[in-house]
Amino acid sequence: MRYVKWTIRILVLVLVFGFFHYTLPQHDIVRIADTYEKRIDFGENSIFWASPDAGNATGGVNRDVFFIQTIQPNGKPMVYRNEDTGFGWPPYFKLDTSNLQTEATDLKSGKDTPQWVSITHYGWRNEFISIYPNAIGVKIISGPDVRIIPWVNIVILSTLAILIFMLWRMWAQFRERSIDPVLEDVGEASDTARGHARGFWARLTGWLGTWRSKPRK
Amino acid sequence: MIGMIRLGVFGFLFLTAVFFLVSIYSRSIRREKLEKKWDNEIKTGDRDAYINDGMKDYDLSLRKKLIWLVFVVPVVVVVVLTYITNFM
Repeated sequence: MRYVKWTIRILVLVLVFGFFHYTLPQHDIVRIADTYEKRIDFGENSIFWASPDAGNATGGVNRDVFFIQTIQPNGKPMVYRNEDTGFGWPPYFKLDTSNLQTEATDLKSGKDTPQWVSITHYGWRNEFISIYPNAIGVKIISGPDVRIIPWVNIVILSTLAILIFMLWRMWAQFRERSIDPVLEDVGEASDTARGHARGFWARLTGWLGTWRSKPRK
Repeated sequence: MIGMIRLGVFGFLFLTAVFFLVSIYSRSIRREKLEKKWDNEIKTGDRDAYINDGMKDYDLSLRKKLIWLVFVVPVVVVVVLTYITNFM
């Protein structure tokens, strides 16, 4: 029983963490080696691709996608896709894909004279299902050791924490003013009413408990 | 364009729900405050009349009007974000 509870908890935690890790912006310090575009036929990885450029037709089975090829300071490669998110999810409102591709191409540099840049992106690179992080912006920086403070993430996560706290306060107020007085009025019959108002966990564990083996007579 | 319209329609529906929830919450907080004040400090006169007067004041208050910011702030945020990602 305890294992079921913890498995579900950990699963939820991993999902929430994964969601934010995928969606929130991150900065990579890289040197741009080249840029290219390639026709992509979307398959089982289609949810990891964004939308066609804002204003173009949607729903096609394939289209050309911009890519930015980069080398990290440790020498390993990293490839970004460069797509509009438009007004859909995730809410970056990115419409300047072609401009970004132009900037990235302009910042190309060779191994001997590296021009280090910071690429803001969201998403994951995964070779098994051919998915790429989506580049959002590119900025020139002085060197590969620059420290970047993730202000945007700090602001977003703080705002989210405040919103969740507010939601919890609203729920507590609703309970205190609207549910609890009713339960108190019910008096004798309150046992059954309280049974319905019990938490999700209490009900789930109660239900799972009915499956447990009964002691033999 | 279609994406913008979709965001506008669903955003408006969502924000309307938020607006009503926040309105109910804010009223409830004010009513509770008035009840507690009467119970602990005033204790004389008509309790219901005192609370009704207080709620009438609340209906005219700046605090209630500020709840309209629920519609204003997200629109401003979207406009600013669009400007920052694309034109800066």
